Amino acid sequence: MQASRARLFKEYKEVQREKVADPDIQLVCDDTNIFKWTALIKGPSETPYEGGVFQLAFAVPEPYPLQPPQVRFLTKIFHPNVHFKTGEICLDILKNAWSPAWTLQSVCRAIIALMAHPEPDSPLNCDSGNLLRSGDVRGFNSMARMYTRLAAMPKKG
Amino acid sequence: MKFLVTPVSEDFLKAFCFFFPTLFVNIAECSQPLEIRSEDFLNRSSFPVTMQNQNDIVKDEAEVAASIAANKFEEWGNCSMKDAMEEPSFQEEDAAKVPYVGDKEPLSSLSAEYQAGSPILLEKIKILESQYTAIRRTRGDGNCFFRSFMFSYLEHVLESQDRAEVDRIKVNVEKCRKTLQNLGYTDFTFEDFFALFLEQLDDILQGTEESISYEELVNRSRDQSVSDYIVMFFRFVTAGEIRTRAEFFEPFITGLSNTTVDKFCKSSVEPMGEESDHIHITALSDALGVAIRVVYLDRSSCDNGGVTVNHHDFVPVGTNEKEEASAPFITLLYRPGHYDILYPKSSCKVTDNVEK
Repeated sequence: MQASRARLFKEYKEVQREKVADPDIQLVCDDTNIFKWTALIKGPSETPYEGGVFQLAFAVPEPYPLQPPQVRFLTKIFHPNVHFKTGEICLDILKNAWSPAWTLQSVCRAIIALMAHPEPDSPLNCDSGNLLRSGDVRGFNSMARMYTRLAAMPKKG
Repeated sequence: MKFLVTPVSEDFLKAFCFFFPTLFVNIAECSQPLEIRSEDFLNRSSFPVTMQNQNDIVKDEAEVAASIAANKFEEWGNCSMKDAMEEPSFQEEDAAKVPYVGDKEPLSSLSAEYQAGSPILLEKIKILESQYTAIRRTRGDGNCFFRSFMFSYLEHVLESQDRAEVDRIKVNVEKCRKTLQNLGYTDFTFEDFFALFLEQLDDILQGTEESISYEELVNRSRDQSVSDYIVMFFRFVTAGEIRTRAEFFEPFITGLSNTTVDKFCKSSVEPMGEESDHIHITALSDALGVAIRVVYLDRSSCDNGGVTVNHHDFVPVGTNEKEEASAPFITLLYRPGHYDILYPKSSCKVTDNVEK
């Protein structure tokens, strides 16, 4: 418990320092619980997620950083490696390829990279994966774009 | 000198790939996902061994693996190899029944494991019994090499109270810290692991308030919050060494897993539970400047029909000849997919007997 708390505190300080360096990520710790974090990440440019802001929820387990944080999308997103209903993310570093060399901040960067480079061969969202696997990039882009507009863009007026 | 440098012919690799799938199926049936690595075959190629046909090799690896697996379950204690192989596949929870680091056991516990095993294995165990007094098993959770190294090293320092060795390794640890910083690792991601290892070094030297007993060392090695942190420390050190000497390690990594140095470190060194290979051992031994002897227990035999137990010494780069002549104080027993700790009767005797 002590070790994970100390580590998270260091990450907290680092996040404050890095705020300017990484304008695409806004990582915030819960006021009362250092094991709960949320992040706002910007959809990468030249992807159907561009212009969208996506919210992630982090639940950090007690053995952190020996074990990975649990991360899911709170904002609905149409992406082959994100569960459409639960927001669960299929990313190796959040499972067996996790190592303490990663941080909450670098996990956010990895998720942004995943948004830009989907892996349709290990889909959590089969509809999305199938569009890409069948080569229907246009269909995929328009679906992903639609959900970005519906769920990840601030409503006008 | 290192067998790492032994060039692997393309034919050899092809042959390896050819029967690898069969191996995989056999192993998967009988035990936890023990991995058969090219290391075994590299090793085999660097010693005079009789050519066994493919089925024999497959049987060989499966048998050893099955025996290791069988030992993991107490209820399997007396069952034969065949039974062990027909047993359903390994469950992760079963590994948790074995402590991270076990008690010191007489070497006879090893032969008990192989009662129904191959005559070659039994003969090799007999040779081992003449050279080693005891074995200490570690949990087969993918961290067994690092865990064995950790305990063996700390136990040696605790028993020898070798302050010069502690001072020496601390210099290397600081070098490793610099290495990681130069590679762009964020300090706070690894410093806790470094601090905990350095703390153990100070604690095992007697004469301070924090000094710990042998029992406490055993307890700490079984306590996840210490044991896993030190394993992780070694993983950082290993990854740092491989990355800084990428040019040296690249050919072996490409030969082993057909991936880049960076990907290899990210997927096979840094994550907990990823098994170790000769690459990891070489890198850790070099980075910390600690020699490691690995004794191989498999079913290979010599041309003349005589059975010897092969071993390989991982001697850190920059070791002078005089130091190289003395046997490493860390001896590990390697059976395909798993490392345990061995205790020699006396280091010089072992050298005489094995180096034939």
